[in-house]
Amino acid sequence: MADNKIKSFIPEAGTCVPWKIKKEEFGKLAGNEEIVKNSWEMLDALAYAFIWFWVQR
Amino acid sequence: MSDKEKLFQERFKRYTVALECGKPDKVPVVFPLGEWVVKYTDATLQEVYYNVDKSNEIIARTIRDLDFDVMFGGLNLWWPPMFDGIGCKLYKFPGIYFEENAGFQYVEEEYMKAEDYDEFIANPTQWLATKYLPRICEEFAEPGSYRAIVALIKGAAAFAMHNDKLAKAGEKWAKEYGIVSAITGMTKAPFDTLGDALRGTKGILLDLRRRPDKVLAACEAIVPHNIAYGMITAAGDTSLPCFAPLHKGAYPFLSLEHWEKYYWPTLKAVIEGLWALGKRTFFFAEGDWTPYLEKIAELPDKSIVFCIDLTDAQKAKKILEGRFCLYGGVPTTLLTYGTPEEVKDCVKRAIDELGSDGGFVLAAGGVVMGDAKRENILAMIEAAREYGVY
Repeated sequence: MADNKIKSFIPEAGTCVPWKIKKEEFGKLAGNEEIVKNSWEMLDALAYAFIWFWVQR
Repeated sequence: MSDKEKLFQERFKRYTVALECGKPDKVPVVFPLGEWVVKYTDATLQEVYYNVDKSNEIIARTIRDLDFDVMFGGLNLWWPPMFDGIGCKLYKFPGIYFEENAGFQYVEEEYMKAEDYDEFIANPTQWLATKYLPRICEEFAEPGSYRAIVALIKGAAAFAMHNDKLAKAGEKWAKEYGIVSAITGMTKAPFDTLGDALRGTKGILLDLRRRPDKVLAACEAIVPHNIAYGMITAAGDTSLPCFAPLHKGAYPFLSLEHWEKYYWPTLKAVIEGLWALGKRTFFFAEGDWTPYLEKIAELPDKSIVFCIDLTDAQKAKKILEGRFCLYGGVPTTLLTYGTPEEVKDCVKRAIDELGSDGGFVLAAGGVVMGDAKRENILAMIEAAREYGVY
């Protein structure tokens, strides 16, 4: 991110920062990508639910 | 398997067979939680709103000796500390703004302006995060400031903490009392998402005249989000229906022409989208939906549970029976103003008229309010067991 790798994107429903965007920013992952991906998506979904919570009253 | 776990399995089967329009061994009966419970305790509404553990203890004491299958509702819809932490303007709760036994109030405004439509439609999630949240939260007035960062941490932490407490309470009630939750997850009609919390009632009604294309485009932009939100808040569960409290679609809030053009197509798309993922919608039709029953019948078989509040029950049965589970039968007003004998008569009539062939869940027709009488609620579930055996 320090190298201005952040891209402009429109997140699809259910996501805030989709894994495919974040993966590009990470570049090649040295370890198990699936573990990183699953955790990323779990927290991303929580953030998404938090943002939309305020209009789903 | 413990006796309570067996009881849970028995009740779960009873409920889900009815959801599938089948005939279980008994008519499933729903216990309606609500603020009415609090007045039979020594706690204040403020305590129940703020103290989730105390609230859960009260619920446990209330339900542990009762015989019912499914539980719906809660003692409080919202956890005020989460709103306090970010300075949220959407609600006022007892404690800060009201005395400790007053219910909460929603403060409706045009939090989304007419000129925001295009930006919202282009990227709804980003617009909500960057424009909407700072408008509804006083602590976010200067995004990036110390106060805003601290508030965001508090808000997100409170959201996770509260959800965790609710999930654990549900697991405990299932395990220790054999109680099934009526729903998992929540969604809305896109028109309600737009009209309730974004444009407000006045705003969206003016928009139907002044910028109808924007309303349509915004509702269409919301559809995939309301499908995703339903699945995420259900944690992927597809065994129980997704709660959809429906507001501005009740007759006669909109004209038939407006309902058919602006309300129904995107609600239908959300329901069909959830159904494609295996998730049934809890069509919580507050108010009267009688004129729309034929349109509702266009939905895929079994894709909804249709809740009867003020909708003509006989017409609902005639048009929807066998294709969708019917839910309700007891008017909430009767639970407040009626007598136990009247409630029992009503339950018998509802089971005879709506439940004789299965596909029916006996419940209050809407949200049971704070003025309901305990003796009437108990009469409802006792009568359901007395008359509801197939």
